[in-house]
Amino acid sequence: MKTSNALVLILVLLSINASTEWPTHTVCKEDNLEIHYKSCDPQQDFAFSIDRCSDVATHTFNIRAAMVLRHSIKELYIKVDLIIGGKTVLSYSDTLCEPGHSQLIFCGKKKGEHLYYEGPVTLGIKEIPQGEYTVSARLTNEDHVTVACADFTVKNYLDYY
Amino acid sequence: MPGLLKMPRRAALLPWTFVGLLQLVLILLQLAGCLLSPCLEVIPSKAFRCMGLNISGVPPEVPNTTQELDLSFNNLKSLSSNYFSSVPELQFLDLSRCHIHTIEDNSFVDLHELSTLILTANSLQHLGSATFYGLTSLKKLVLVETGISSLADLPVGHLHTLQELNLGHNSIASLKLPKYFSNLTSLRHLSFFSNKITYISKGDLDALREANRLNLTLVLSLNNIKYIQPGSFAKIHLGELVLRSSFENFHDMHTSLHGLAGLQVNRLIVGEFRDSLKLEEFQNGLLSGLCQVQMQEFVLTCFRNFENDTDTLFNCIGNVSSIRLVNVELEEVSEVPMFPQVKHLECKRCKFKEVPAVKLSLFKELRVLRITQSKHLNSFRQKFKNLTYLEVIDLSENRLSFTSCCSPQFSGSANLRHLNLSFNSDISLTGDFTNVKNLLYLDLQHTKLDNHGTYPVFLSLQKLIYLDISYTKTHVKSDHIFHGLNSLQVLKMAGNSFENNKLSNNFKNLSHLQTLDISNCKLVQVDQSTFNALSELKELNISNNKLLTFDPVVYEPLQALTALDFSHNQLSVLLDSALEILPASLVYLDLSHNLFECSCSYLNFMKWITEKEDLLQNKHLMVCHTPAYMKNLSLSSFYLFSCRPNPGTVACSVVILLAALVFIFLIYKYYFQLYYLLVLLSGCKHSAERGATYDAFVIHSSKDQEWVIKELVEPLEGGKPPFQLCLYYRDFLPGVPIVTNIIQEGFLSSRNVIAVISTDFLESKWCSFEFDIAQSWQLVEDKAGIIMIVLEEVNKTLLRQKLGLSRYLRRNTYLEWKDKEISKHIFWRQLTGVLLQGKEWNHEEEKLM
Repeated sequence: MKTSNALVLILVLLSINASTEWPTHTVCKEDNLEIHYKSCDPQQDFAFSIDRCSDVATHTFNIRAAMVLRHSIKELYIKVDLIIGGKTVLSYSDTLCEPGHSQLIFCGKKKGEHLYYEGPVTLGIKEIPQGEYTVSARLTNEDHVTVACADFTVKNYLDYY
Repeated sequence: MPGLLKMPRRAALLPWTFVGLLQLVLILLQLAGCLLSPCLEVIPSKAFRCMGLNISGVPPEVPNTTQELDLSFNNLKSLSSNYFSSVPELQFLDLSRCHIHTIEDNSFVDLHELSTLILTANSLQHLGSATFYGLTSLKKLVLVETGISSLADLPVGHLHTLQELNLGHNSIASLKLPKYFSNLTSLRHLSFFSNKITYISKGDLDALREANRLNLTLVLSLNNIKYIQPGSFAKIHLGELVLRSSFENFHDMHTSLHGLAGLQVNRLIVGEFRDSLKLEEFQNGLLSGLCQVQMQEFVLTCFRNFENDTDTLFNCIGNVSSIRLVNVELEEVSEVPMFPQVKHLECKRCKFKEVPAVKLSLFKELRVLRITQSKHLNSFRQKFKNLTYLEVIDLSENRLSFTSCCSPQFSGSANLRHLNLSFNSDISLTGDFTNVKNLLYLDLQHTKLDNHGTYPVFLSLQKLIYLDISYTKTHVKSDHIFHGLNSLQVLKMAGNSFENNKLSNNFKNLSHLQTLDISNCKLVQVDQSTFNALSELKELNISNNKLLTFDPVVYEPLQALTALDFSHNQLSVLLDSALEILPASLVYLDLSHNLFECSCSYLNFMKWITEKEDLLQNKHLMVCHTPAYMKNLSLSSFYLFSCRPNPGTVACSVVILLAALVFIFLIYKYYFQLYYLLVLLSGCKHSAERGATYDAFVIHSSKDQEWVIKELVEPLEGGKPPFQLCLYYRDFLPGVPIVTNIIQEGFLSSRNVIAVISTDFLESKWCSFEFDIAQSWQLVEDKAGIIMIVLEEVNKTLLRQKLGLSRYLRRNTYLEWKDKEISKHIFWRQLTGVLLQGKEWNHEEEKLM
């Protein structure tokens, strides 16, 4: 009887833990390309889509992303890691918003505001790599707090032209 | 019947299930408790964060002393009057996204101290006129994304202390400022970011006209302004006006800017955002409306597609004293108007491929010129001419690559004080600085300097105060490369290299130097005279080199030093002589990441480290390198654990010392016994070899000597047969310790021992010692018999105190001396008998008890 109690307890704890994980969303699901993402910010999930998945093969493609800001973004920094087989292969970081010189519309938005981005994303690399890998992106603000975080799982077997 | 049989089993199961369920409920309750956990106390009893706790009011656990309260992401729904009466000292209140739709009158009436109120992302449906009553100290009101559509109903007219009113992301269509704005005289920031303003008409801004608004920033970005009626901004004085992505197309922008006529503003920011480029391209005459605007500074951001050569960018801004072009895809400088008044010109992230020196030379009034972060800018072939007033040129963070720097490029700029060419590709210095010989600051860091280091290129820069050649791939070959820099106060040259990785006389003429950075220069050795001239040096960074020693002779001339960074070297210790020469003015000393040898032989150094708490930086990174088992142990803890005598060892040594003292005392006290023990252990053989010289050794007190001579010696030695007695006063050898005499002459040489027991015997220490020996002798050697003679006058109580003796007397027979003839006779007979028996003496004796 005691073991069954323990089992119940473990089950309950597991289900609680599982519930803090956000569901995996599908961005693209085509023959040669699959992109899924999952929020890794324990505080919230967010919405993300790519206008035309096949455009991923080109240098620039349009995305839409929406979320509610839990922190203000007077300054905004992005860090992207390319993870293949559990190892970080490439790391890229950039400043999206800097104080005094907001180049992007959403810079300076405040906590609680709705953030919606619709527009082009230009990759720093010529083409996205083929194969199966994870792209982990994290946005942080002036207080080094995570504003948004997502793990993208990509299965890419597109041909480039 | 089977059903009946099952019944008890089910009954037994039920309580268990119940218990299980109860536990589940308890767990869930606990979890719920966690979810509804109390607010985070950011500053004890002052600041609380109750973000996203799904609460519906001010939590009761928030004390009334709270000054900052974050209630964002909760479910407050509506605020009733006196809603915040429990927290009257609030200064900061964040109600972002709290699903508030109704704020009743007097909701904030208790918050007299409140200076910041954030209501972001609540769809406020109706705000009564008394909504913000009581907020007498309010400075910042954020009403972003609150669904406000009209300024007329906004009940903020009484907030006289208001400095910032943020109305971004609403649906305000008209900029018609109600009259109450003229009361908001403290207002500094008024934002209509991302609203629905389409027309600005004459009279809309009248409320701003009356008072002096030179501190006010008005933000109208991300609206869709189609038309600004001329005269709308006439006679209005503003601190800053921001119009980014405010216009849909060239036409709207062109005509609207004309509507700014009459405006007087310190800074006007016009342009777009990088991700919202509505205007296709910059066309001629776009800014022509700005001719009617009086401004100090003009900022143009995020513009692309300039029609080169024919555009008229500067046409109406030539008289502005400061122009900043940020993220403007300008490939060449536009037509420059006659007699421009621009004093400060900056192009950041522009698209120049070449430094447009010829055209920029037309800005005769230029004082400051900055062209930075332009990744296409790599050529510097054109030359600046006669910019007489130019003081500052900043060409940093481009990709410039050019030769023969730096005189030909700046002819006629005799006032140039500040030249920044840092973070470019590569530049070669010729040593010709004749046109810019008045330079005070020269920054060349992170730009490769070709072939630098062989000859004194800075010879003509006699006035230079600041020189940065860090990470320029300079390889110092000559001792003279800094010749001529007689005024230099700051020299930064980290990340370069010196011939043979050795510092020699390179700094001998830099006698005014105050800061020197030679970190990361692969240095292995420093010559003794290197710093001789640097008596004014205050800061020295020599970190990240490979120096093994801190030679006091080298550093002694640096008597004005306040900061020394010696980290990341290979020092093993600072010797006493080095510690002594450290100047008293030193307040910053970094010795971290050196290869310290942890040894208590450097006790002074270790002790010094623990004492200089304030002076030493990164103390926790000063760790042992050797010995291997001490690796990464911090020096101060090494000192505490290994070198400083710890209480344990102190206690230990005290105990040992005490023990030694006690031991010595015991030896002193029991000297005889110990000596005897020694003799016992070593002298047994002696006794066997040595024949018995005497018949008896007489133990007696010196006070009984008379009796002994008269009653023992005379009858026994003179009688028949004659006995030979051993008497201490007669037979002991002079010059030998008494104890030796007692043992050697007395016991070892005698067959028997005669003890004369008297009161004096009992009192004498020698006697009791001799008696003790006699007893043990008897036991060990089984040879000497003890003949006890008790004199009659012995005090019985005293005898009893001598435990050993009285016990001996009780267990053995003894002779008793009585001063009567008959007794004497018996005494003599008995004594002679015993002595005669000699060797075959047995225990048969007459009992007299």
